[in-house]
Amino acid sequence: MVVPACQNGPVAGESAPAQPGGATATSERPADSALTGWVTIVWDDPVNLMSYVTHVFTTYFGYPEAKATELMLQVHNNGKAVVSTGGREQMETDVDAMHGFGLWATLELT
Amino acid sequence: MRAFRRSGPMISMKLTDYEVTLLESLVEQFAGLLEADGETRIPADPFERWQAELDAPEPLDRSDPVIQRLFPDAYAENAEASEEFRRLTVSRQRADRLGQAEVVLSALRDSEVGRHPVQVRVIELDTWLKTLTAVRLSLAVRLGIQTPEDADDLDGLGEDDPRSYLYRVYEWIAYLTESLLGLN
Repeated sequence: MVVPACQNGPVAGESAPAQPGGATATSERPADSALTGWVTIVWDDPVNLMSYVTHVFTTYFGYPEAKATELMLQVHNNGKAVVSTGGREQMETDVDAMHGFGLWATLELT
Repeated sequence: MRAFRRSGPMISMKLTDYEVTLLESLVEQFAGLLEADGETRIPADPFERWQAELDAPEPLDRSDPVIQRLFPDAYAENAEASEEFRRLTVSRQRADRLGQAEVVLSALRDSEVGRHPVQVRVIELDTWLKTLTAVRLSLAVRLGIQTPEDADDLDGLGEDDPRSYLYRVYEWIAYLTESLLGLN
């Protein structure tokens, strides 16, 4: 049985949130913000299985089953969920990992 | 005997010769898509044909919607930062995916076309799941699945529609994925 988890807009921009000021350069921000201020977002798509998305959240982030399921449902119901927060570098690592799992993820400045 | 069985560090998957051949073909084509020198050949197999259309001489053809889906923008509204991210990650990401596909192919070959159960090492479960997911994402792009309704429409197609078979394969990969997850 297939339970589609995610809704994938083919073009991220269509449903993507506004990114404040389009700011991306780490050098533009104070050094003490290097470890915070960014989030990893996983977006809904119609292909990935709910069970698989939950599995990814438990195995990669080490989240307990309940939290992973909650985040998966948030992606499913709201179209997206913030799955991790931290510095830009860490969020890039997380996004990279999500892409490796085949999930559609982006990072942005909060 | 159940089709999927876990025993300690190993999962046994009983697949038919047809299923092993099909999966092998799908994974090979997926790997081919990622390989640098996309050598052109004229495949007889319909699955190879649809995948061959996607093969490009360049390592990764960004105009290919499958590649776009597998290597999406990391920044929703910043093309420049997304490009930089891709520049830093794409080679490793590609090598990882090829390595994972090779693990799956090797296990499929060891089954001698389904004569023996396919052996999946539990520590390599994510390798399998990632590869199955990538194959499924490729099929989804090919089938034009962009919304849940698209999938519903495909589900209702008659046997005579050429997409019907591909959709059944897509669903079968989902079944394999769910089955493996169920043994985790």
